[in-house]
Amino acid sequence: MDPTLKLFVSTDFNPDKYVRELSQNCIGGPELVRLRNKVQSLSEETSGKLKRNVYQNYIQFIETAKEISHLESEMYQLSHLLSEQRSLLNSLSNTSVLGDDKPVAVEVVVNSEDNKKQEEEARQNKLTTILEAVEGCSNLLEVSTRSLMHEGDLLELDPMENTPLKRIHGYLFNDGVMLAAWNSNRRGPIRYKFEAFYELGSLAVVNVRDLGNIKYAFKLLAFPDTRLFQSTSNSTKKEWLEKFDQAKKARLTQDQIKRESFAEKSPSRSVSIESPSLNPFEEAEEEVASHPEWLMETPEELDVYVAQRHFEDALTLLHKAQEYFKNYLPHHHQPDHTVLDLKRKVEQRHLAVTEVLMKELEVSPDKSLQGGLRAARRPVGLLNQLGRSTQSCKLFLKLCSSIMRTHCKRVKREGSVIVYIQHLSSAVFTNMCHMTEEFLRAFPNSPSCSSAFIVWASTELSIFTTHFIKQVFITQTTLSTLTECVVLARSQCERLCAYGIDFCYQLDGAFRTPLTRAIRDARDKVTDAIKLRSLEDTWIPTNLKSKSGLARCLQEHAKMDLLLDNYVTGDCWLQLTNNTLSFTKLFLNLLEDCLKLQTSELLYTIDEVLFDILDAQVKYIGQSLRSEKQVEQRQFITKNVDFVLITLISLAQKKYSTVVGFESFGLKRLVKENTALLHGVTPTSRQITKYSSNEYL
Amino acid sequence: MSKKPVTQPALHKVIMVGSGGVGKSALTLQFMYDEFVEDYEPTKADSYRKKILLDGEEVQIDILDTAGQEDYAAIRDNYFRSGEGFLCIFSITEDESFQATQDFREQILRVKNDENIPFLLVGNKCDLEERRKVSYQEASDRAKQWGVTYVETSAKTREHVDKVFFDLMREIRARKMEENKTNNGRGKDKNKRKKLKCVIL
Ligand SMILES: Nc1nc2c(ncn2[C@@H]2O[C@H](COP(=O)(O)OP(=O)(O)O)[C@@H](O)[C@H]2O)c(=O)[nH]1
Ligand SMILES: [Mg+2]
Repeated sequence: MDPTLKLFVSTDFNPDKYVRELSQNCIGGPELVRLRNKVQSLSEETSGKLKRNVYQNYIQFIETAKEISHLESEMYQLSHLLSEQRSLLNSLSNTSVLGDDKPVAVEVVVNSEDNKKQEEEARQNKLTTILEAVEGCSNLLEVSTRSLMHEGDLLELDPMENTPLKRIHGYLFNDGVMLAAWNSNRRGPIRYKFEAFYELGSLAVVNVRDLGNIKYAFKLLAFPDTRLFQSTSNSTKKEWLEKFDQAKKARLTQDQIKRESFAEKSPSRSVSIESPSLNPFEEAEEEVASHPEWLMETPEELDVYVAQRHFEDALTLLHKAQEYFKNYLPHHHQPDHTVLDLKRKVEQRHLAVTEVLMKELEVSPDKSLQGGLRAARRPVGLLNQLGRSTQSCKLFLKLCSSIMRTHCKRVKREGSVIVYIQHLSSAVFTNMCHMTEEFLRAFPNSPSCSSAFIVWASTELSIFTTHFIKQVFITQTTLSTLTECVVLARSQCERLCAYGIDFCYQLDGAFRTPLTRAIRDARDKVTDAIKLRSLEDTWIPTNLKSKSGLARCLQEHAKMDLLLDNYVTGDCWLQLTNNTLSFTKLFLNLLEDCLKLQTSELLYTIDEVLFDILDAQVKYIGQSLRSEKQVEQRQFITKNVDFVLITLISLAQKKYSTVVGFESFGLKRLVKENTALLHGVTPTSRQITKYSSNEYL
Repeated sequence: MSKKPVTQPALHKVIMVGSGGVGKSALTLQFMYDEFVEDYEPTKADSYRKKILLDGEEVQIDILDTAGQEDYAAIRDNYFRSGEGFLCIFSITEDESFQATQDFREQILRVKNDENIPFLLVGNKCDLEERRKVSYQEASDRAKQWGVTYVETSAKTREHVDKVFFDLMREIRARKMEENKTNNGRGKDKNKRKKLKCVIL
């Protein structure tokens, strides 16, 4: 590394001090000038390196951005697929209707908060001691509401012979009874061994009347077990029976509280429970009257609503019925056939309504799209309420597609390509915006539908770009026309950004390959023209015939930001050849188009094309200079070189960096490689290397 | 069942079913203790056992007097499962109790899964002829339809009280003997036995 550079890089570098030291040490002006030049060249080199780095990073950045956008769209599609799968699974699981056997959780009703806490603590303590005393009942704590209600020693008897069997310790909980056998050779805290647990909801407790040798006994019937127990006295037996009764009643009230949440809907239910005259074993079929009348009529009512196309009313009724079914707890845990039947019927109507609504949305050739998306609002909204947003979204997007098709067909292919593209892209993106609005209105908070929409929009855009490429990228189209079309499409596409949907990357991506080809084709056309013109070039200044002709020419070029006053000689002469002037025009036009088309992905091609064109022209001039011996003529040629290499390229760089942000490396290199020409020397030793991307990277 | 003939005589398990207040407890108490209880006290579930002479053979009867009401179907089913024979009782003074017998019958058949389960239809309180609501014809028609016997009883006058218990026990005993026969041959699949009977008929 250059020692001065090292100095600059050091952290405590002080520019003022450095300059002062320099001026002190230097002897005379030339020394200072030399140093100044050195610093300047260093600065140029550094900025060049910096730019190269920036460019390199820039390319990396572009690559990364591309990757990200691809990933993004893949994620969208994945999420769409997943949500489709989910809805499929949902519909599958919904088809298995029965199996609603919810276990009944029994809770102890406690009023005050404090008591609750204390009781909870006591409950847990109690259960823990039981856990410690009884071997093999580790799942005792699994039911969080379980609490002990009674316990005691019992003697189990043979139910047939009434002879004693073994000693048992019984635990009555609020949800069942646990029997534990005495451990004969007991060690430590474990006193009993778990034997059985019987659910209260299915356990039959039978009092056994004292007769002969059997005293103080009761039976537990829990199919297939029949177990007979003898307690120590009449009062302990009574206590057991009473506790069993209490536990069962508590459980029953708990169940009833649950049922009472919709008691107003089935008022006769509680009556049937209380009235002893009624058959308590009554089966569910006989409780038909307990369902409200509206429910019984729901299926027929739904048919009428659908026939009258009163879908909103149908939905309200449907939801009401479903709500009723949801809250309905079958009496005695027996399936209520009336309810099951009604449920099935209502479910059929549910499907029917859904189908009718989907038909509304379906696209068919014999249906007019006159109503457009507005007409779809109602069925879409209703289907969403029915929980069918996936289907409604699918149909909605299908409808959008077919509306899009009709609108696009209506755009006539007449007049210039530009006009056609203008109308077409306006039609496509106006519809797209409109559809996005409608979509956001219909599916405001649905991620799965949103991803479906993005996939749809992406597909629509692809259809558009494919069509666009077929129509626009044909050999007859000039680069200028093409550019105008692309710019039109791009600006239309940007309208979607207002909805948070940016598809510009997809548009640019679709156009990248054909555009690269088109730009290179344009370059080939220009270089062909350069070759042709070079054959006819006579290397004489341009004669504009008159003063006014010269003025017009100057004005024309001033419009292109080119001041040619320095090249004027006499009244109507310009010290630039006609060839140089027309090349200038051609080049600037091409540059303009390229800069309009400029995207990060195209920048490489653009740079390459600009270099190639200028290189061709400069090479031609260089050849002319080499074969020219006459000093005066050489001076004239050098003037043209100077114009192209200095004036024209500076202007081009200015325009380039305004749009791109930095100057073109290709043009810079061109200037550097050809500086010798400016001094009238032909750089014969120059190796003509093909301009390639390697030199940038 | 006969593996310990020394210790205990055969045990026949009878279950009293029927709506509340029809006289299940009254019939049971009359049979067991020869007494009639005037006042009505709803039963929970009581079981009785007694040694009796059935056609000269000493047997034990185990009577389960069920509650008029049971809120849990699963518990009800457990009562029924424990029985070998059923006395299905209604009061001839209460039509509703007669209608209820239909449900009891169905539930018992469902739980026992046996159409030929020992079963008697009992019309109680026949001493209250002046308050009869269920005709003899009507009741015996239903019994015929089920293929069971219909008997009218009075817990108060003891009319036919012994008869219903003894008839049911005979049915149970016959049933067990038949079962033993099939058991010697094969398993106790009740459906198989049913088929067998159909062939005989
Ligand atoms: N007159 C009369 N009354 C009866 C008869 N059987 C029962 N009762 C009365 O009917 C009421 C209910 O009888 P109970 O045995 O407790 O009914 P259960 O518990 O449902 O079987 C009581 O007051 C009995 O005295 C009967 O055969 N005749
Ligand atoms: Mg009773």
